Amino acid sequence: MLIKAAGITDVGLKREGNEDAYLMDDQLHLYLVADGMGGHLAGEVASKVAVELIAKAFKRWSLAGTDGEEIFGDIDSSLSTQGNYLLGAIRLANRVIHEMAAADERYQGMGTTLAALSISPSLVVAANVGDSRIYLVREGQLERLSRDHTVVSEQVEMGIMTQDEAAHSPLRHVLTKNLGSAEEVYPDIFELEPSNNDRYILCTDGLTDLVSDEEILDMTMLVKSPDNLCRDFVDMVLKRGGHDNTTVISIFLSGLDERQTGVLKKTGTLAADLWFGLRKGLKKIKP
Amino acid sequence: MAKFVLMFNKQVIQEFPLNKGSVTIGRNEENDITIENLAVSGFHARVDKTGRDYILTDLQSTNGTFVNDKKIFSHKLSHGDNIIIGKHTLLFLAPELQAEDAEADSGPVDLNKTMMLDTERQRELLAKQEKTSPPPKKPEKIGVLSFLDGSKVGEVELKKKLTRIGKASTSEVRLSGLFMGSTAATISKRPTGYTITFTGGLTKLKVNGEVVKGSIPLKDFDTIELGSYKFQFYQKEVE
Repeated sequence: MLIKAAGITDVGLKREGNEDAYLMDDQLHLYLVADGMGGHLAGEVASKVAVELIAKAFKRWSLAGTDGEEIFGDIDSSLSTQGNYLLGAIRLANRVIHEMAAADERYQGMGTTLAALSISPSLVVAANVGDSRIYLVREGQLERLSRDHTVVSEQVEMGIMTQDEAAHSPLRHVLTKNLGSAEEVYPDIFELEPSNNDRYILCTDGLTDLVSDEEILDMTMLVKSPDNLCRDFVDMVLKRGGHDNTTVISIFLSGLDERQTGVLKKTGTLAADLWFGLRKGLKKIKP
Repeated sequence: MAKFVLMFNKQVIQEFPLNKGSVTIGRNEENDITIENLAVSGFHARVDKTGRDYILTDLQSTNGTFVNDKKIFSHKLSHGDNIIIGKHTLLFLAPELQAEDAEADSGPVDLNKTMMLDTERQRELLAKQEKTSPPPKKPEKIGVLSFLDGSKVGEVELKKKLTRIGKASTSEVRLSGLFMGSTAATISKRPTGYTITFTGGLTKLKVNGEVVKGSIPLKDFDTIELGSYKFQFYQKEVE
């Protein structure tokens, strides 16, 4: 399996600081995007702490093959081990940010969103908190692997508000969940099997505020490399005013066919063996 | 344009555009909005347009007029207000007001900036939500595969976010067969619901008789076939 990934973050045209952070662990194939909030430098601190801590904890547990007991928080039996490592790491980061905010006045009220993707040859785990998103482009279709934790998207789910009203609501940026504001956090986590030529995008709302899902799909289908895709997204955002920080990670999968061709090859050899065996047998029978 | 949506037992009965300066509501047929119910007074309430606002006034009705579960005498209507008259509900919809209100209320707050609900605002919003719409807390649903054919019987609950179906010993649903893939198919729970994906092997995956080579979303009572195995998918509510 070949995984190509690229990440980019851009301060935009209106903001002075960049409160977004991202991290790519190309060895473990863990990808993280975070959008921090909170006064002064607190937002920057929250997003940076989140991505670094999650990557560190995930790495430690993955490399050690840690079992249930040592992972932070209770095991979720609906998830794989890989999923539980990611869940535990997110819970841990949440607790640390929460405690930092409580201990230091400068960090009061700080928090961050998170979009996390962990890829292995047989499993993809997607987790999110807040309104940073994860997209999957597969066979020409775009699918969201994350759920927005905002007041409006919850109202859309309950059927009180339409998608269109939500996109224009003044409350569209009000989060119902983030990392740091509460002692416990309950991220949404999804697991799926990777497929050849999958393309994944993790991004903050700097992108999704200005670029629609349809445009994201079109742009993703057109490009050849994840670097180009990241660049195209940021160019588009800046052209449209770039009112917020924008962060994007693009991940392209390929070379996943081997498993299937492997099966075919095996069957092929089996058939060939049978054939030669049969011929040998026939020769023996012939006088 | 602003309008009322008249509802009874959560069913929409009729919509009334507010295209006059004054609109009256009551049981008497002379009202602009007539509600035929004994709990409603002859002339129950009135709505007046003043500038860009709509003011609702109770006309000293017997059973009172309620807005978002609070009894009122007069009230400036906001987009989304629930007016209860007798056993009927009038939903006030004026999206243009909402945009203006938000601008007026929010003042210098940068609405493009992501923010977490601060506790007071959160309580306000949540309290409002609870009153206007008894939160239709969706019961958690879990997918179930029910064997229809083949050598197995019974049901398998899809308790995991990702269920693997195939020959491998790590499969959650283990099936045998010479040409069965070690993982023939997977079912994963996504934000939009359950999705089934063909993953490999020489045994074809069929959903409702159609061969699936990639992924498709599963709907209740879809039939899934893998070789000689046949299942039905459905979702059931769990506590």
